[in-house]
Amino acid sequence: MNLPMLAARNALRNRFRTILTVVGVAVAILAFVSLRTVLDAWDLAIESSAKDRLASRNKTSWVVPVPKKYLDKVRVELADEGLTAASYGTWFGAKDPTHKDLFFATISAEAKSLFDVYDEMIVPEADKQAFIGDRTGALIGDALARQTGWKVGQRVTLQGTIYPGLWSYTIRGIYGAKRRSLDRGIFFFHDEYLQEKLPDHRRGNIGWLILRVADAKKGSEISRRVDELFTGSDIETFTQSEKAMNLSFMATFSAVLKAIDVVSLVILAIMTLILGNTIAMGVRERTNEYGVLRAIGFRPRHLVGFVAGESLTIGFLGGGLGLALSYPIVTLGMGRWLEENMSGFFPIFHVTPKTYATAMLLALGLAAVAAAWPAVGAARLRITDALRRVD
Amino acid sequence: MSENQPTTTDRATQGKQVPAIVKLAGIAKSFERGKEQVRVLEALDLEVPAGSFEALMGPSGSGKTTLLNLIAGLDRPSAGTISVAGTDIANLGDAPLAKWRAETLGFIFQSYNLMPVLTALENVELPLLLTRLSSKERRRRAETALRIVGLEDRLHHHPRQLSGGQEQRVAIARAIVNDPKILVADEPTGDLDRKSADEVLTLLEKLNREFGKTIFMVTHDPAAAERATVIRRLDKGRLE
Repeated sequence: MNLPMLAARNALRNRFRTILTVVGVAVAILAFVSLRTVLDAWDLAIESSAKDRLASRNKTSWVVPVPKKYLDKVRVELADEGLTAASYGTWFGAKDPTHKDLFFATISAEAKSLFDVYDEMIVPEADKQAFIGDRTGALIGDALARQTGWKVGQRVTLQGTIYPGLWSYTIRGIYGAKRRSLDRGIFFFHDEYLQEKLPDHRRGNIGWLILRVADAKKGSEISRRVDELFTGSDIETFTQSEKAMNLSFMATFSAVLKAIDVVSLVILAIMTLILGNTIAMGVRERTNEYGVLRAIGFRPRHLVGFVAGESLTIGFLGGGLGLALSYPIVTLGMGRWLEENMSGFFPIFHVTPKTYATAMLLALGLAAVAAAWPAVGAARLRITDALRRVD
Repeated sequence: MSENQPTTTDRATQGKQVPAIVKLAGIAKSFERGKEQVRVLEALDLEVPAGSFEALMGPSGSGKTTLLNLIAGLDRPSAGTISVAGTDIANLGDAPLAKWRAETLGFIFQSYNLMPVLTALENVELPLLLTRLSSKERRRRAETALRIVGLEDRLHHHPRQLSGGQEQRVAIARAIVNDPKILVADEPTGDLDRKSADEVLTLLEKLNREFGKTIFMVTHDPAAAERATVIRRLDKGRLE
């Protein structure tokens, strides 16, 4: 037996209370790890953005289109300035009537150039050609295919929201990706199919330009050049890197992200209070024992050590349990589901070593904080008062 | 031994003059109760010879436990000097006083006050955790102490598995494991039945006679006091 072992044994004296507290700490750590992983995944999503891809949109807003002829002008004007590929997309916003709760991006695109700007896309050559050659063909990500069960050659019908009506397609290919910069849950189809069904006054517009540059370092320079091409025209553009675009998109969720941050801290504060309460109860119940220990020669610092050791033991057990649970629950459970179903937001969703380490350090650090007040109280007890007290 | 050193004669020392191990001079102790000062001990002088077994009796509120706490270095006097085993404990700082208690004193409580999560052996080993002894040596000494109190077959029992008398014997083993010069006992038989109380008192006698331990015991029990070599009475803060 030694002093740390004695402190650890004290932690297990009231087993039911200790188990409840350990579980409380574990739940708090699990919640903290989950929320931090959401924030990490969002950061990773931004970091995963292609560095050599630019997006050019209407300067007013994402929801206001730009003329399709801008694409041609950009292709011509910037051909010698490092532009390697150019394409475009339009947010279609359709839903699958048979999977009403399933959200996925539907984008009308220029089929031929799509593969040039998304060079990380992996599609069998035959499927690729089949898609390019079929005006009503669709190319879907493998994550979406898993969710819907759609197969190559299958006929599917979507319900338009922005563009009302029923829209029928044939799945011509299922794409994967070499890098995480491409959302594997998108439904691409031919913009020609969309344009031909639109009334005359709505035709000829697209959502945004997608540009790929030879040198990522020249991205900002080329962005400026694109915008200069349309300065003074009725519709001006705003061009930025894909990463900056994702960042500005995430900025619209900044309040949510801030809330997640705050909630994770509140959870830790609650954990500290729960742990502090348990330790304070234990110290009060053991006042007489502390008096005995002081009487036989133990010093106030030893009592501080016992109380802190007890709290650290519970913090360690709770933190360890929380982290042990976080791997199957967060990484294997939530993570796999989110990566498959919301890969646009969460291309990588797993608990990072940094989060594991931070959570354990916080569990131990806050256990020490929780022990501080009861420990000081125990150390300040007068021996004769402590020996008189019987709870 | 110098001529002016306090001495005493009793049956334990068989007529020999022995030095006092406890010397209290002009001791006063008062407590504040609200705005009122309550004087518990007044101008108290006491000398306890080394190797004696003394019982301190007196009515409730007479100041017995206060006096015991002062001798044990658990409390400080309002006035006067206390010397125990050659150390002026009234003027020791908190840390040296704690060290002194660990090395010089064994304390036996009325309610045994064993730690329920520890076995008998571990409870006895507890004071030795403050020493630099190896774990093997600590265990050896704890086993010896338990053998002296007749509990060598209960080493790994927890307090809840022992009778009251056995618990008190474990507490006594804990008090003697660091080989203290003096044992102080506060109502050591107060929670025990007659038979168990007799066993504990016999053990205290054995420690006094065979191991030469000075014992200063506070008790209400006349039968317990009869086992001591000296009986002192305290009333209203003064020794009679």
